[in-house]
Amino acid sequence: MQTLSSSSTAGVLLDLCGVLMLLLAFACLASKLFNRYVAYYGTQSVVLSFAAGTAAVAFHSAELWILAALTLAIKGIAIPVAARRLLVRRLALKRDTAMSTGLSTSLIAGGALTAFAYLVTRPALLPHGTVAVAVVPLSTAVILLGALSMVVRRHTIAQLVGWLIVENGVFLGGITLVSTFPFIVEAGIFLDLVAGVLMMVVFVSGLTRQLAGASAEELKELRG
Amino acid sequence: MIALAVLAAGAPLTGPLAAACGARARVAGLAQAAGAAVALGCAVALLVALLHHAPLLAWNGFLYVDALGGFFLLTVSGVTLLAALGSIGYMAAEEQRGELSRLQVRLYFAFFGLFASFMLGCFETGNLGLLFVLVEASTLASVALVGIEGRARSLEAAWKYVIISSLGVTIALAGTLFLFYSASALHLGSNLGLTWPFLFAHAHALAPQSLRLAFLLAVVGYGTKVGLVPMHTWLPDAHAEAPSPASAMLSAALLNTGMYAVIRFLAITQARLGGTYPRAVLLSFGFASIIVGALFMVRQGNFKRLFAYSSVEHMGIIAVALGFGGVLGLYGALLQTLNHALAKSVLFLSSGDVSLRYRTREAEKVSGLLAAVPVTGGALLLGSFAVLGSPPFGLFLSELTIVRAGFAHGSPVFPLLLLALLGLAFVAFARTTTGMVTGPPAATPSPYGDRGSAALTAAPLVIGMAALLVLGLWIPAGLDEVIRHSIAVIT
Repeated sequence: MQTLSSSSTAGVLLDLCGVLMLLLAFACLASKLFNRYVAYYGTQSVVLSFAAGTAAVAFHSAELWILAALTLAIKGIAIPVAARRLLVRRLALKRDTAMSTGLSTSLIAGGALTAFAYLVTRPALLPHGTVAVAVVPLSTAVILLGALSMVVRRHTIAQLVGWLIVENGVFLGGITLVSTFPFIVEAGIFLDLVAGVLMMVVFVSGLTRQLAGASAEELKELRG
Repeated sequence: MIALAVLAAGAPLTGPLAAACGARARVAGLAQAAGAAVALGCAVALLVALLHHAPLLAWNGFLYVDALGGFFLLTVSGVTLLAALGSIGYMAAEEQRGELSRLQVRLYFAFFGLFASFMLGCFETGNLGLLFVLVEASTLASVALVGIEGRARSLEAAWKYVIISSLGVTIALAGTLFLFYSASALHLGSNLGLTWPFLFAHAHALAPQSLRLAFLLAVVGYGTKVGLVPMHTWLPDAHAEAPSPASAMLSAALLNTGMYAVIRFLAITQARLGGTYPRAVLLSFGFASIIVGALFMVRQGNFKRLFAYSSVEHMGIIAVALGFGGVLGLYGALLQTLNHALAKSVLFLSSGDVSLRYRTREAEKVSGLLAAVPVTGGALLLGSFAVLGSPPFGLFLSELTIVRAGFAHGSPVFPLLLLALLGLAFVAFARTTTGMVTGPPAATPSPYGDRGSAALTAAPLVIGMAALLVLGLWIPAGLDEVIRHSIAVIT
């Protein structure tokens, strides 16, 4: 399997993409507005698509080109737009109040998880001098941060965005670690499908809750 | 053989087909049951063929059936048949009473068949990427079954189920990536490099460090679908909120599908790293599951949640058996899988009848089942004792095998701990179910419109209990041979 050295241009670019994705995951963790969650996720996906494009150039891989295009079109544009229109606006959501810890606590936990990601992926696992050494800990940290935001937030949309960030982390690791993974495009398309279904579930359950809330208020008005 | 394999996975689609044509509960259910029966027949025929021929490998490894896959095909198609039979009466009654609309009933059968087909497909592919896709697809198909009643509670359970399982399966994808990475010394670029038989045959060339990580990620990821503690939190909610025949499918088929994926990763890891590391992982998750499952059973008033925690406990037992390893441990694990699937199908299906009659899921509000509804009451009572591992039922035999494997493996601490926990689970579980079965009967009208539906509801209970009894008294020679072949495949 081809490996990319960390000092090559592509290697530096991939590293940069990884850092940006980690920062965006932190930004999402630190935010309280539903609109921001979606925006940070969308930006992160665009960065991921750029990383996939870089890897495609470096490895001369047609599959990775497809992945980059799909990531940009679906994760970068379609999912954020749909989430904003269908979920945030339609369900009239603004501020996320359903958090089980404060923001500062979750940020500190996020920092600890990032350190943990470096701790577990560094020793002896990856060949020295390759870009994977730099990027795999970053992608692991993105995965852990996504999972963390699923844990500390109780709202379905926040959990959905958390899962999407986990997925981005897995794909960042995938394109740098195993660029020849034969199933990556199919897996990507399939997970986009899963994301679609999850959004539908959020929508239906949000609507049900909204209707239930509305009918309860009507009942209150009919007093006396 | 290829045709047989395709038919085995595709046959349960008769239910969705009937539902799409607008059939009502009765007809769609019968079509579903017929499809499941065909699938079961194909599974048996495949197994017979596999005993005499080499494993089926076709389409670049996308289609791969060996004895282990055949064994799980048999188990899951059998469960599908029982659950489909149970669905007929349950859904007809719900439709008649207006609890579920006609559309909901049709959706139920549409997703029921898809769910079964995806799970059966999991056992027929050698490609680990496709396995990941099919496992996640089965989650998506079953989430509709969990949330079908459309109430706030069931939607919450459905959300919890789908988001936790999706996260788990995404982690399993990371595990698959690391497994592929560990094979980078083999210079693979094609889909062949991702097929299980190929990786298993070349296990010696895998990089041990990343293989360790891959195994751990796979156990955590697919373990989420198995319901291993601490990834089990979706399980009690989903099992309690789904309609009872769907709960039977979740508990007796879906959990086994997750375990099947774990076994595939286990085989590769064991071939490269030896037994110590996977044993530590599986024993930790297994005992955690047994302890949590048994403790949560102690004060559980909702009988469907009680059965769900019992599933957590049993999956823990199977993980422990896989951890003990050796021929004896694997034999016990596979036998336990089959027995647990049968017993849990019977229990959940009888709980369906109970909740239809009493309109409650609280064990306290149910009494005198044995006098009021002898078949259901009897199945619930005998099924409880069977699932708790008392003789003469199959689980006694399989749990005995597992404990023996534990003593053979060395330290007597683990099998003794296992026995103690089984005792705790026995008391906790039997206390609740015997209360439901005995006592003065309450007068409840039959929820079924006609005698036919009532008989169809009783049929899977009787069939399941009979099979459990047979497996407890004697293991048919064919089944014994199948299990031995399965073990030979993965060691």
